[in-house]
Amino acid sequence: MRFRGWIPLVLLAGLIVGVSAYTAVRQDAFLTEYNINNLLLATMPLALVAIGQTNALLVGGFDVSVAALITMCVVTASFTLKPDETTLALFLGSLAIVGVGLATGIFNATLIRIFRLPSIIATLGTLSILEGASLLLRNAPEGEINSNVIDALNTSIGFMPVAFVGVVLLVVLADIWLYRTRTGMAVRAVGLDETSARRLGMSTGLVIFTAFVVCSAMASIAGFYSAAQVQIGSPIIGDYALTSIAAAVLGGASLAGGRGSFVGTLLAALFLSLINNVLPLFQQPAEYAQMTIGALILLALVLYQAPDLIGRLRTSWGGVGRLETSDGEAPAA
Amino acid sequence: MSTPGPEPSVVLSLRGVSKAFGAVQAVRDVTFDCRGGEIHALVGENGSGKSTLLGMASGFLAPDDGEIEIDGRPRRRGSPGEARRLGLGIAYQTTSHVLDLSVAENLYLAASGNERPVYGRMERWATSTLEEFGVDLPVGTRVGALSLAQRQFLEVVKSLLARPKVLLLDEPTTALGPQEVQQLHALVHERSRAGVGIVYVSHRLPEVLQIADRVSVLRDGVKQGTFDAAGMSEDALVAHMIGRPLQLAFPERDGDGRVPEVLLDAAGFRGDRFGPIELKVERGEILGLAGAEGNGQAQFLRALAGVERAAGRVSCDGAELNTKSPLSALRQGVVLLSGDRMQESLFPVLSVRANTTVQVLRRLGPLGLLNRRRERRTVDDMAGRLRIRMASVEQPVQSLSGGNQQKVSLTRPFLRGDVKLILADEPTQGVDVGARFDIYEALRAKANEGVALIVKSSDPLELAGLCDRVVVMSRGVIVDEIPGNELGEQRIVEAIVGGRAAKKVEA
Repeated sequence: MRFRGWIPLVLLAGLIVGVSAYTAVRQDAFLTEYNINNLLLATMPLALVAIGQTNALLVGGFDVSVAALITMCVVTASFTLKPDETTLALFLGSLAIVGVGLATGIFNATLIRIFRLPSIIATLGTLSILEGASLLLRNAPEGEINSNVIDALNTSIGFMPVAFVGVVLLVVLADIWLYRTRTGMAVRAVGLDETSARRLGMSTGLVIFTAFVVCSAMASIAGFYSAAQVQIGSPIIGDYALTSIAAAVLGGASLAGGRGSFVGTLLAALFLSLINNVLPLFQQPAEYAQMTIGALILLALVLYQAPDLIGRLRTSWGGVGRLETSDGEAPAA
Repeated sequence: MSTPGPEPSVVLSLRGVSKAFGAVQAVRDVTFDCRGGEIHALVGENGSGKSTLLGMASGFLAPDDGEIEIDGRPRRRGSPGEARRLGLGIAYQTTSHVLDLSVAENLYLAASGNERPVYGRMERWATSTLEEFGVDLPVGTRVGALSLAQRQFLEVVKSLLARPKVLLLDEPTTALGPQEVQQLHALVHERSRAGVGIVYVSHRLPEVLQIADRVSVLRDGVKQGTFDAAGMSEDALVAHMIGRPLQLAFPERDGDGRVPEVLLDAAGFRGDRFGPIELKVERGEILGLAGAEGNGQAQFLRALAGVERAAGRVSCDGAELNTKSPLSALRQGVVLLSGDRMQESLFPVLSVRANTTVQVLRRLGPLGLLNRRRERRTVDDMAGRLRIRMASVEQPVQSLSGGNQQKVSLTRPFLRGDVKLILADEPTQGVDVGARFDIYEALRAKANEGVALIVKSSDPLELAGLCDRVVVMSRGVIVDEIPGNELGEQRIVEAIVGGRAAKKVEA
């Protein structure tokens, strides 16, 4: 990874430590086992869906249908994870939720790769379909979700949810895969330059297809944690589409594809949850959180794209300069 | 076609392949083979089907008809990966690098499973691989930061990684200087001695005759024959490459608007892929811009119009020409007729009327309100003058034929009163023969009004017939100038394929 790739990670880690330290000193309620556990559990749905979103961004696409898919999964859970089900039924019910995710992913990927729709349009359509379907199934929050399942999802050792440890391991492994293996590099190559990647004999179609399926699958797993939070079949779950893109971008993913970091995405998700967590402690209205997040995203975009812009200007002028030198000496000789 | 026993085996064989893009038959029933250890050159003019043929051999394009065998095994599906596994390597003209990744990473991506080291040893492996092929490149550098020549060498090394039985080189020397050409040829000879069959596609006949064992000629998608390079001359090859059934008519060069006064004066003008260029164009002159595709002609024209970045000094009509943006060039009377009409000139879904008057709306009514009658009169007038054939002026431009589309984009320099220089990039590409004459006539009419024109065309016959003078570009610079009294198709083709045909004039 070139130096530039570290900028978002360092920046986010610094922000998280800074905000936490500032709050810990001023608010006793922040650094408690209960609050930290809560904060980490609240991060789970966003972290999972943003990790999925990072896949879509890496291959140069978006998936805005994730928000509706999470809602759909919560609504599904209210039917398949009912309070008085047997373990086997709960297992099958969980598979059904993942199935909804995979089916949505395959649907999106088919629209994008086979029917060649721009990903934003394809997933907007899916978003609308899933939203309608969720409202059809539950037009108001109802249908309690099995508390054993919720407890299992929220299992924690001290302040640390077991699942959060899993996510940390996942993003570290995913970044090693992305930057230290050939297949990871191939995925980045597809995002950076699809034509060249195809000419090199890569199955670019399969890479993009898989990325969107993985994105939806991750969103359905995020659905479990969302269900654990709301605990009821609610057809109105928060807007994860934009926040997940925001987290991925804050974490260093490029909207043009080919760049991103799963660790960065997790840090960004954690940071966004942190802001939501600390503002109420300072008796500040939650609306500020939303505005802060919006401003930060814009700032991050400007900051991270700056090297690209400068680079682009330099290559277009560099091309002019290089021709002069290549007239004289043969560079490759 | 099978070869007798003692001869080396055929490593690439195409039998009766055809390919059409829409209505254009790019390649028609071509049979071609390349033996192991042989350098087989493939020549032809721009658009003669060379790249299409390579695309089919390499699996990037699927042939409509015909069979392809690589190293004696038939290719089933059309995929670059399969062709590669069967033993085919290809170095593309527009290279296949991911510019944002390093040299080592690009090499690593190009390597298949068994050629690859573990990820951590990538850079060391890349260094030794480059060394093995005698190419010296900084492995840690982003490919985007390399020169075009360096990228070309990297492209060739990439195509050699899988130790192919047959290697396709598509215009490998376009970005190379003379020294680098020698270096590349040494590499090619070395590979062919190792038994690799090499298909060498190039415009440059001296290079081709120097390196090839056999030469096949394509014209209009049809193979004209395969010859031993030893017994071939440039002249004979050129004769096979041209030879056109159709005679075209051109407007007379009456020289009405010709004023011996320099309108455009470029000095040290350079940009991406071209330069430095010194060029003067007079009022009323039609200057032709010739050269093999990809030698900077299009970039030069576009830079003059402010569409691409450039540096150096250009004056137009005595004033410094501002090439910072298309608008600034337009304000000084420089109009570009883009080679990509539908993308860059026209609004395909809008009507002929809207496309015609879009640049001059201010003139068509008071207070920014359009006077429909006045607009209609203007459009009807132009349509009559340029003989635009259409059902109605409200017809969307995309439903017109290529020739009529081009005429619609031509109305714009006619309507603007302040045009001084027209830059036409392939003005008759995709235009049927009948409409061509109308376009030539319109261009000549503008010249007679005192406007200077630079016409870039890949059709030597067109340049010979239309222009007052032709300059030939190669590797981004002007290498030859052909005055009006020497103009002829043969002379232009020789200048293009020879790269430097001036020697011919002196002899």
